[in-house]
Amino acid sequence: MSSRDLAANGPARSLSSGPAPGQLADVLERVLDKGIVVAGDIQINLLDIELLTIRLRLLIASADKAREMGIDWWDGDPFLSGRRRDGNELEDRLRRLEEKAGLPVTGEDR
Amino acid sequence: MTATAAGTLWYAYAVVGPVDAEVRAALGGEFELVGSGEAAVVAGPVDEADYGTDVLAERLNDREWVEQAVQAHERVVQRLLPVAAVVPLRFGSIHRDREGVAAFLHSRRDDFVATLARVRGRVELGVKVWLEPQEEQRPPAAATSGREYLERQRAARERHAAAGAELDDRLRRIHERLLAASDEGVLNRPQARELTGDPRRMVMNAAYLVADDDAFVAEVERLRRDEPSLVLEVTGPWAPYNFADAPER
Repeated sequence: MSSRDLAANGPARSLSSGPAPGQLADVLERVLDKGIVVAGDIQINLLDIELLTIRLRLLIASADKAREMGIDWWDGDPFLSGRRRDGNELEDRLRRLEEKAGLPVTGEDR
Repeated sequence: MTATAAGTLWYAYAVVGPVDAEVRAALGGEFELVGSGEAAVVAGPVDEADYGTDVLAERLNDREWVEQAVQAHERVVQRLLPVAAVVPLRFGSIHRDREGVAAFLHSRRDDFVATLARVRGRVELGVKVWLEPQEEQRPPAAATSGREYLERQRAARERHAAAGAELDDRLRRIHERLLAASDEGVLNRPQARELTGDPRRMVMNAAYLVADDDAFVAEVERLRRDEPSLVLEVTGPWAPYNFADAPER
């Protein structure tokens, strides 16, 4: 394999024509999970980003299935210690409100 | 109110440096450089109707939207990669205005300059190792008695454990040889089949910070010869997402 092949396998080509499924996984992994974290003025805040990455992972692999395959990223994750399988809007809102009010956050005490 | 405000927010994609005419040309008119000299932030406008505080939380539930937003982020980073040292930011660094972007650059400029120096002239290459389906353990053949069944189960478990330990050793050696051909390397969790859409099982998912990509690829080629039963895939070149460090976390 030469560096030409390497370039042909690179993200640039795939992205211009829509990435192959495997390539998309690599892009998601990097852009959502790696790179420097900067807290912006707009607080989509780290909490939402955490939820985002977790949701994506769960959209893609159900937690049970993933555990079966030995994937346990979220075991140390407070948001996932419960049955947070899909976006529970009400729970999210409650948690945000509690945070704003400086109360202890529900959902982390399971 | 957020959606009707129809405002524009500033989304920061990456830190680059040094800033020169080539960097400016790569950005075209779509993106702006905040800062100058050794380190500047590449930022661009995004619609508050998508990226405003409350809206974004909703958008994050929309997988298609997220995929497109993530790909747009990566496209900007890819434009910069050939022309400058790049420190990619994680998805979702959003600021109210140009001053917000300038303030965050100012607060961490020294870090960024140091990181840019560390990754300059290098790219990130991903290496995935796959196991062909026929390399995986087959279920034991149908048994004629309960005892035979149990014995076959036990034998299969032992074979499986031995194969797993042996595979770990081989993967460790692969990683060591690739580390020797690179500046740094990290092992990430192998991606799930549901994510890869590939019938093969991913058994290693690594990234390396590489100065000499020809030499690195040549080493991968040698590994392929030494490990004919494993499939080694190289991806990239990527911006050094895995080597950007995240001091705030």
